[in-house]
This record gives sequence, C-alpha cells and structure tokens, in this order.
Amino acid sequence: MTRDDGGTAALTTIVMLPLLLVVLVGVLELGALRAVAYRAGAAADLATIVAVGDQDQIELAHSGKLRLAADAADVARDYFARNLSATAPALAASATAIAASADIASFPTTPSFDPRTGARYDRPTVRLIASVPVKTPGFAALLMPAITTVTIRSTSSPR
Amino acid sequence: MKKRTALLLSLILVLSSISANAREPLEDEWLIPAPPVPDPVAFVVPSGLYYVTDTYVADVVATSDATTIYSTTTVHESTGTYARVIDSVDTGASSAFDGMAFNGRGALTNGQALAGTYYENFVLTAGGYVPVSIVFFQDDSETKRRQAVSSLGAAAKPTASPAAVVTTTSPVPVVTTTRPRDAIAPPSIMPQASIQPAPRTVRTGISLSPDGPTLASAEVLRGRLVQFWPRVFIDNVDVPIRSWRLLSAQPDHISASTGSTQPLAAQWIRMPVPGVSWSLRFEVYSEVSPTERLEAEISVMLRSPALVD
Repeated sequence: MTRDDGGTAALTTIVMLPLLLVVLVGVLELGALRAVAYRAGAAADLATIVAVGDQDQIELAHSGKLRLAADAADVARDYFARNLSATAPALAASATAIAASADIASFPTTPSFDPRTGARYDRPTVRLIASVPVKTPGFAALLMPAITTVTIRSTSSPR
Repeated sequence: MKKRTALLLSLILVLSSISANAREPLEDEWLIPAPPVPDPVAFVVPSGLYYVTDTYVADVVATSDATTIYSTTTVHESTGTYARVIDSVDTGASSAFDGMAFNGRGALTNGQALAGTYYENFVLTAGGYVPVSIVFFQDDSETKRRQAVSSLGAAAKPTASPAAVVTTTSPVPVVTTTRPRDAIAPPSIMPQASIQPAPRTVRTGISLSPDGPTLASAEVLRGRLVQFWPRVFIDNVDVPIRSWRLLSAQPDHISASTGSTQPLAAQWIRMPVPGVSWSLRFEVYSEVSPTERLEAEISVMLRSPALVD
C-alpha cells in the first residue's frame, strides 16, 4: 500500500459508514417489527380458538349441534388483550386499548357470510381483525415514522 | 439273579411313575356348578305391573233411549304411579275386592253390582313397589223397554253425567231414563269387554341433559367432558332408568362402563379420520320393565377448534 492508497481507503470508509449504519439499523428494526407482528398474530389466533371452544351448552343439549355462545366475541376480545400483554413493551398502545378497538365478529349460524371480508363460513366461526401499533425507534432515527401499525387477522371454527 | 434284577427294575419303574398330565375330557362335567349369585338389588316387581298413563277421573252413567251405559272416564296423564289388574267381575258377581275401591262399585237399577275391573295402584319407593289404593273401572250397560209411546215430543238426547268425584267412597248414583215405559221388563245385560291395558310403545334414546330431547347425533368438542343420559320412554312418558351398560367403547376416557341414575361422562382426545363419526351404544333396563333389554344409540362427531385460512 502506498501513502496515496491509504488515504483513499480512509475516505471511502468515512463516506460509506453512515450508509452502512442506515442499512444495519433498518434491517434490525424490520426484524424486530416482524417478530412483534408474529407474536400479535399468535395472540389473535389463540384468542379466536379459545372463543370457538366457548360453545352454547343449552343449544348443544337441545339439538346436538355446536353453536357459538352468545359471548364468543367478548371472550375473543378478552383473551386477545391477555395474550397481547406479553408483548406490551413493544406496543405503542395498551393491550386493552388495542383489543377494544379490534373488529371481532362471531358467526354462530351457518352458512354465513362475512360482510367485511366476503368470506363464507360453513361452521360457527369467530373472526378477528386488529390494527396493532408497534414502536419502531430505529425507523425514527432514520427519520421515518416512530410507530408502525401492523394489521393482523385470525379466523377460527371447529373442524 | 436275573429274576431279582427284573423284579427290582419293575419295582423302581412302578414307584417312579407319575400320573400323565393329559387333559381329562369329562373333567369339566364333574365340576360342581357355582351357586347362582342373587341379584344384588332384591326388587320384587308385582306381576302384571305397568306404568300408568291414563288416570281415573270419574264414573259416568250415560242414558240414550232405553240403554244406560256405565263407563269410566280417564285423562291421559302420568302421575308416576304403577298399576295392575287384580280382578275382572261380571254383572252381579261378587269380588274379594268389593268395598275396597276408593270409588266404590255401582249397581244396576235392579240392584245387581256392575261389571268392571279392579286395579291396584302402586308407587315406587326405595323399598320397592308399595300398594296405595284400589280403583274400580265400571264397564256395563242395561236396556229397558219403553212403557208407552212417548207423547212428550222428540226423543230424548243422550245424556251423560259424571257420577262421582275421584275421592268419593260412596256408591255411584245411577241415572235412569225418565221416559214412560210399556211394561217393566227385566233388563237385558250387555257386559262389555273388560278393560285391557293398551299396548305399550317403548322408545329409547340418548340425551345430553337429564330432561333434554333424545338425539340421533351430537357434535362434541375434542377434550370436552360430555354427559350422555340413556333414556327410556313408554307411551312417550319418560320412565326411570334402572341400569345401563356401555356396549361400545370408543371414548378415550369414560366415567364408568355401567351405571343407573348417573349419566355416562365421556371425553375424546384422539381425533378420528376426517368424515368418520363414532357411535355410543347402550344396553338399558328401565324400572318399569326391569327384565326387558333395550338398546339406545347416539352418533358422535368429534370436532376441534382450528384456524381457518
């Protein structure tokens, strides 16, 4: 290496270092966001599964058919809040507030159609759609939004 | 020497012989049969007993022209009691149960006792069937000749009147015709066929609650403990179960394979092949006919909560 080559390398490093840091921070934040979204989706899945397990026992004794309990949507909302609380530090709102604003619908009779998604359900179904605000400080450092909203969806039925 | 040796060998052979271990074909026939095990629940059921589905209301005497009919009205309801026929009597015949029926036994206009049937009523207690009362179902008629051509106008319409209330013990008052008659003639008695209990219709089923409807099939969630109640209906009236036994055994966990008043609690853990349903089959004995074997069955479709794509 000559004296001139060494100056070129230092200059290149100084120029490229910010770009490398931007890419590094972006990748890390994107990974963290994906992990939080995955955990929120799992919380929604478990909530709808629990709600589907909440069956109307009187109707079962009367007709032998599984039909969702009248409070299935409330059960799903309650368990969604409970499950989300494990991810609370990464969320930009409280788990209870997120669950309260979630669009949760139960379809106790079949066949039924979901007016929001247009899906047809042939079994008693609980559907959950929620917007989960996630803190993204890494994006904020890069002059991007400090909060990123992730939309999750979950649907369960007895099969 | 040879004789001694042969004798010694024979002696050794005889002494060292053992009985063969072959099976004796007639061995089983010599076994003394075990004494029969008595029924753990010694329940004496009077012969001819049946579950009451039509209850006595009142004695009725109806008059049409010259014929007077003595009958009994009933109402189709079950009071949870049982009954049996203890005597059927013809007109004028005496019975050992005369004077014992709470509604008494009426008489024709000539004083002869009415034909009919005596029933003895029972209630089922923990100690067995206890007789509580005797009732007489009158079933008779008589015809009288007209004394003269009536000048009173149109013929009288048939009339009927309940003659006694359920709790009365007095003889049934008789309503006779008010039309004039040509001559008094001995009544011609037309004994009716004695009252026979109607054929029973027995129906069995399984319900998911003690008083719920019986179901041919039921959807069951995996892992959920579900109670199955064997039921017996006689003439569409729910009768108590004496015992049940599970004939099929698909559930992973069951509370018991036999029972009486308690239901079967069953739980499935393993899922069947998609599209396949299981069935629970019971052998049932009712309190009304403890010796009659009945079967009840329900189809079970096992389901599990799952995510939908």
